[in-house]
Amino acid sequence: MIQVFRLCKDYGPFRHALSDVSFNVARGEFVFLTGPSGAGKSTLLKLLFREELPSSGQILVNGRNIAVLPDSQVPYFRRTLGVVFQDFKLIARKTIFENLSFVQSVLGLSHAEQKRRAYQALKRVGLHHRMNSHPGELSGGEQQRAAIALAIVNEPVLLLADEPTGNLDPVLSEEIMKLFAEINIRGTTVFVATHDIELIRRMGKRVLTIEKGQLRDRDLAREVMLAREAPFLPG
Amino acid sequence: MNSRYLFGEAWAIAKSGPRHTAIAVALIALAFYVPGLFALVARNLGRLAGSARQPVAAILTIDPAADARAVADRVAQDPRVARVTIVPSAAALERFRRAYPDLGGALSDLGEAPFPPTIEVMLRPTAPVRASQELVAAARTWPGVDSAESEEEFAKKFADGVRLLRGAGLFLGGLLAFAAVLSVASAVRLALDLHRDEIDIMRRMGATEAAIRAPFWLHASFEGLAGGAFALLLLYATYRGALYALSRETHPVLSLFWVGFLDLPTALLLPAVGAVAGFAGSLLSLGKTRSTA
Repeated sequence: MIQVFRLCKDYGPFRHALSDVSFNVARGEFVFLTGPSGAGKSTLLKLLFREELPSSGQILVNGRNIAVLPDSQVPYFRRTLGVVFQDFKLIARKTIFENLSFVQSVLGLSHAEQKRRAYQALKRVGLHHRMNSHPGELSGGEQQRAAIALAIVNEPVLLLADEPTGNLDPVLSEEIMKLFAEINIRGTTVFVATHDIELIRRMGKRVLTIEKGQLRDRDLAREVMLAREAPFLPG
Repeated sequence: MNSRYLFGEAWAIAKSGPRHTAIAVALIALAFYVPGLFALVARNLGRLAGSARQPVAAILTIDPAADARAVADRVAQDPRVARVTIVPSAAALERFRRAYPDLGGALSDLGEAPFPPTIEVMLRPTAPVRASQELVAAARTWPGVDSAESEEEFAKKFADGVRLLRGAGLFLGGLLAFAAVLSVASAVRLALDLHRDEIDIMRRMGATEAAIRAPFWLHASFEGLAGGAFALLLLYATYRGALYALSRETHPVLSLFWVGFLDLPTALLLPAVGAVAGFAGSLLSLGKTRSTA
């Protein structure tokens, strides 16, 4: 699903956000991308959904080399993806249902199809009973579930999430991760960037670790787990 | 992209900044009212200048007691003269009534004929430039001729005046239309800022640039259309107001030419050009937005 080869991203001559990053993600896989703040997680995600262009290297997503994708093709490429952000990205003046049907009306779907898909997506995230609420009337966890519904309403082949639990407490974070797992079971490839090591450990999925713009051959989640399990030895 | 989305979002854009929408519409209305007023005045003046069936080179005013036919025969003997028309008092009054039906009735109450008999002289196209003045100078010495005036210079100055008025209207119109385009552009830019988050979401969901921009194009075009329509209404109100004022108190000059509104194609041009100006303003504003990120 994702093939990244020798990817570099520079912001000017002295700031290297990503250096020589290579990895593959198979179709249907659930992968976490972790690392400290400023490591390059968000930059990598932006490159994956073509919000930014790489300085060098190749990125193939769903068989398309997005580094050389013409601007006019970018919207059609993005329709195959779902993206979830930490800050939800919902339109405040519209209800949750309108948020979902709105993005589909932009894509030219019929009104009946918009309603059907929006309801299905809200049902999948368990928010169909709040479909007439505005984002401001929902809790943080509900807003994030609405954002996930927005991301999956077009039935994407790949779901990208950038710190999706960053604004949520541990219980809600767990709930959101379970939702991602359910989406993954239905066949969608899920790629989640987070620095929540505890959460990654509990999920037990593949982990990519990035530090200072480079992929490291270490499993941070496993290291944390081992450190916690080590006996406390008083000095 | 469907029409429900297109019109719904255009309306939402208008509602999101009602004050700026109103200001933009008002500016466009003003921008088109001023040149519209010039066009109205120029059209009425042009109508006055063009009311004569043939260009008259000179007019001889005849003493009512004199033999107009004898004077006309004498003028017609000049080889430079193409045609001579005797306009009796009654015919002059009838002509005035036909040209100005609203004002002709006012003259009916007068006991005596308001217009003296005249002779209109049309020259041949081959007549030299100063032929009219020479003919007039000679006619002034003839018996039975009260006065003689050359129309050549006046007609030329009048036509020049109308042309100047039209030119000034067009120049001012162009200038104000440019200002209107800029005001629409700034209103669209503000609307863009208010909808920045939504545009980001739409882009991330795979909306094409055309789908994102179309509601802004439509909104700006409607702003221009509304501004042009308001200008037209204002212009018509001005015209009717002036007519009403002139009907209460007849003005010696204004009453003569303030007789008709703009013809339908010219009138419809105001909202149409307004819509084009609005669309141009949105293009100016949206042209600077990033396209893919």
